[in-house]
Amino acid sequence: MGFMRRFLSRPTTLFGLAVFLLIVAIALGAPLLFSRGPFTIVGMPLLPPGAPGLPAGSDVLGRDMAVGLAYGARISLLVGIASTACAAGIGVLLGAVAGYYGGWVDDLLMRMTEFFQIIPSFVLLMVLVAFLQPSLETTVIGIALVTWPQVARVARGEFLSLRGREFVQAARTLGMRDSRIIFTQILPNALPPIIVVGSMMVGSAILTESALSFLGLGDPNLLSWGSMIGGSRSAMWVAWWTTVLPGLAIMLTVLALNFIGDGLNDALNPRGKR
Amino acid sequence: MLDRRAALGGAGLLAFPAQSWAADKRRVINAMMTDEPAHLNYPLFNTRIMQEICGNINESLLLFDWQFKPHPNLARAFEMSPDGMTYTFHLRPDVRWHDGVPFTARDVAFSCGVMLPQLNPRSRNAFSHIRQIKVVDRYTIRFDMEQPFNAFLLSLMASSAPMMPAHIYEGTNFRTNPFNFKPVGTGPFKFAEWRRGQFIHLTRNEHYWRPGQPGMDGIYYRLCPTPEQRLVAMESGAADFAMADDIDTVVNSRMVANPNVVARSDAFNGTGEISIMEMNQRRWPFSDRRFRAAFMHAIDRNFLVKAINFGVGKVATSPIPSNLPYHDDKAVVKYPFDPARARALLDEMGLKPKLGGVRHRFGIMMIPDGGGYWTRAAHYIKQAMSEVGLEVNLEATDWPTFSRRSGNWEFDVDCNSYGQYGDPAIGTARFFLSSNIRKGVPQSNIQGYNNPEVDALFHKAAVAVDPAEVQKLYSRLQYVLTRDVAMVWLYERQAMFFYNRRLKNVIMGPNGPADGFGSVALA
Amino acid sequence: MSRLSYIGARLVKTVLVTVAVVLLSFFLVRLAPGDTATVMAGQAGFSDEAFMKSLRAEYGLDQPVTAQLWKYISAVAQGDLGSSFVRRQPVLDVILERLPNTLLLNGFALLVAIAGGVAMGVMAARRPGSAMDAAMTVLSMVFYAMPQFWLGMMAMLMFSVWLGWLPPFGLETMGADYTGLARFGDIAVHMILPGVTLALYFMASYARLTRTAMIEVADQDFVKTARAKGLREGQVARRHILRNALIPLITFAGLQAAILVGGSVLVENVFSWPGVGTLAYEAVTTRDNPLLLGIFIVTAILVCLFNLATDIAYSIADPRVELG
Repeated sequence: MGFMRRFLSRPTTLFGLAVFLLIVAIALGAPLLFSRGPFTIVGMPLLPPGAPGLPAGSDVLGRDMAVGLAYGARISLLVGIASTACAAGIGVLLGAVAGYYGGWVDDLLMRMTEFFQIIPSFVLLMVLVAFLQPSLETTVIGIALVTWPQVARVARGEFLSLRGREFVQAARTLGMRDSRIIFTQILPNALPPIIVVGSMMVGSAILTESALSFLGLGDPNLLSWGSMIGGSRSAMWVAWWTTVLPGLAIMLTVLALNFIGDGLNDALNPRGKR
Repeated sequence: MLDRRAALGGAGLLAFPAQSWAADKRRVINAMMTDEPAHLNYPLFNTRIMQEICGNINESLLLFDWQFKPHPNLARAFEMSPDGMTYTFHLRPDVRWHDGVPFTARDVAFSCGVMLPQLNPRSRNAFSHIRQIKVVDRYTIRFDMEQPFNAFLLSLMASSAPMMPAHIYEGTNFRTNPFNFKPVGTGPFKFAEWRRGQFIHLTRNEHYWRPGQPGMDGIYYRLCPTPEQRLVAMESGAADFAMADDIDTVVNSRMVANPNVVARSDAFNGTGEISIMEMNQRRWPFSDRRFRAAFMHAIDRNFLVKAINFGVGKVATSPIPSNLPYHDDKAVVKYPFDPARARALLDEMGLKPKLGGVRHRFGIMMIPDGGGYWTRAAHYIKQAMSEVGLEVNLEATDWPTFSRRSGNWEFDVDCNSYGQYGDPAIGTARFFLSSNIRKGVPQSNIQGYNNPEVDALFHKAAVAVDPAEVQKLYSRLQYVLTRDVAMVWLYERQAMFFYNRRLKNVIMGPNGPADGFGSVALA
Repeated sequence: MSRLSYIGARLVKTVLVTVAVVLLSFFLVRLAPGDTATVMAGQAGFSDEAFMKSLRAEYGLDQPVTAQLWKYISAVAQGDLGSSFVRRQPVLDVILERLPNTLLLNGFALLVAIAGGVAMGVMAARRPGSAMDAAMTVLSMVFYAMPQFWLGMMAMLMFSVWLGWLPPFGLETMGADYTGLARFGDIAVHMILPGVTLALYFMASYARLTRTAMIEVADQDFVKTARAKGLREGQVARRHILRNALIPLITFAGLQAAILVGGSVLVENVFSWPGVGTLAYEAVTTRDNPLLLGIFIVTAILVCLFNLATDIAYSIADPRVELG
């Protein structure tokens, strides 16, 4: 298929795909790879990488960094994918309705997305998560609530341009209900840019989650890469690995996702516009 | 310690930065604040930051030495009647408030009789034993007691009873008095300037009554919000003092190894702070003594101090810290680290492991300290609990939520600490007296611990006159409280005080900064 | 639409947005259980019911919600953003004190990002598809994938902890009380690490934009004409390509208005830069609701005004653009 050929043609995309699959494998296989969980204290704190049994060293509480890094992948991927899925759900729904019907519905949506562009969204997110008490659920919901406008904008644009097409006119004359037209006729054609936006959003959702955990606004019962970095703020002065390693993990994951997103963009928009 | 430092070699040599412009002969003390106090009304807001700042402005009648024996301060002499019912203080006649008005017995009567009891629950409790305060003459004041209160003199120690100016506060609304933002006292330093968001500046009291003091010209308390910032400030010499919570224990080794810094672990003996965990004893299984005992056995407090807290602190075996005279290690019931014993106790209670090996789930409410040693301790406890089949849900809070939930008894277990302030009657009793079970009030007997024998013991011990009798009562108290596992005592904090070697005479007694920095001079 | 009526319409919209922000934030901050009286009580170490009751009365926390909202809106309309519970200062004063620091940092970062991004984009566009092009693209994407706060901590680790070249925290050297040129230099030195950290993230976007725009423009007719006329490559690049490529760049920079005030929370936090970002974080963690509301309002107003200014500047620069 042309799509697959285009998608896999770029070396960066291949690299991104390989790295991402590796991280997913580590995330899923973490309970099998390690006998004990990431919170288990295995020895004295702040032992450097290469200490016996500690390939990535130990953190400020004496926990195995390697196990923490593996389990952190689970949180990042879970939050990244779940929040993007939620945001996409909300955004596609609202954007589709606004783009299809136009008029005051569209105006309302435009005002709402503008509103989100004007208020400082990270501060809003902090307020939401902090005031609803930090947990995995509030993190996912919070990120979704702050990022859906991005999807809505793209969806709206697509629906706006597609609603005047002939196949839509044809469906209408056939007497198809609006909701059927939206979901079965237009949506499949509108998907490509939505998918591209979605894939980039997973990466930025991971960055956002790590920022929240870093600031102490994440779920305290979960060990995520961001909270590992946040917990190392003082320790960094005497143990660089507690800060460097989790950050590298985040960077690699997001980079891989961005490469994949770029590849998708190329493959789905073969007009050569980059 | 040595092997950790050797391991640092792999991290590259982390040189100690050369001292900056500040670490020289400037006659100003540079101290830091972790956050800005809301105001400077000492009795109203008795936190550590207030003690560090206002300890220089407002003084108390007495000074206490390392053995907690009283010495003259604003009171040049004092007597107690043999039956313990009357205390007479003879004040120094040469003391003036910072605005020039003479300090007299009227100020003492006002402070101890009106202002302190009204604003400060600790004082209210201690001074409830007073029947009347009599101004004998301009510089003599007499306290007649309801019953002999053997901790009375200690209740006049440093932050517990600072003297406040009657001519400024009497008859006013203490909470809205404008002098809350430009405090007036008798101490070696007086208030000069408060630049919000930057610093509080105190200058020398030229007319200070103690000859030869103060040794320095002023103190700056600069706002320095994060522990890493404060670390850098100490290392570069921009700050002279780092007290207690200022520096995270993680970098303790770095501070101790710094050749420009002196490290003291006894500067807060007067506070006698113990890090604890409180259980909501109204809820099962926390109401069952066996569960509480299992909890104690499941924690390795030596590891907690050595590893999690990087060696700062000392395991607490008693509700009374080890440096206080009444501490009785022979009377207490000990709970060594013994997970097997913990599991046996839980089995006995009927809490057998269910699906997944979990016997019971409960929550621990954490203190919001931004990931510092409190948070680390909570994480360690969670792990220790999982080893014996207890699953802990750590609850992150902020100060409003923490206060509300603890005061309203909406918690399972929480992390906290309490200070002795010289005597169990002053600091400890309030957490175990059934009369102090008051809903909506944080930092009271929120556990709901109710033992009539303990109530009686505390009351009797506070009023007993014979020291041997007092010791016997407190020994019995330590036995009963530890036997009941009335609370989970983790470790004595022994918070560190770091100061720059360019200064001397910084820590002169167990109250450290709360006694003021009048004696500090260039080394 | 005439320019004046356009400005008028936009100002009206600004007011409407501000009201919406006020309403949203007012009810948002009430999501949290507990109120400020319990904060202050807890911070005092001990408290009693009478104390907390008097605190609530003092701050009007015992009034019904609608009464509090109405009181607040009327105050804001007169320019009074209330008083910060925790800091005991007027909210507007606190924000205005910190705002210049944030604008300075973000402005500096924006300039560095544009300069660096354009340079990278130009280098990449010179020979599309070459190794240099690929390297620049990958490099900018690496920066884009890094968590900002981590990048900041790495920079601090490298340049402050290990090399000791640059100060790690704050706006200026604590307690030094420099004035004049010395103070300017002190602040500049402190601004390097956080500013560059912030810039690196946006540099990626500017690099890509520049590269895309330059490649597109280079293909267009008037450039081919210029080349045919015999102009040197450098002249072609500078005079025609770059100038035209800058327009989408300015558009993008204009869109970043919201970033100018609210986008540096993380970097400010890592470097303890005393700006609006750290203020917002403190307000969230201390439940200082008036301050939070104030920050939302001031930010919204500033962003609207900044957007308006860029739109007008844009229309002046390129008369083909229509307002409204």
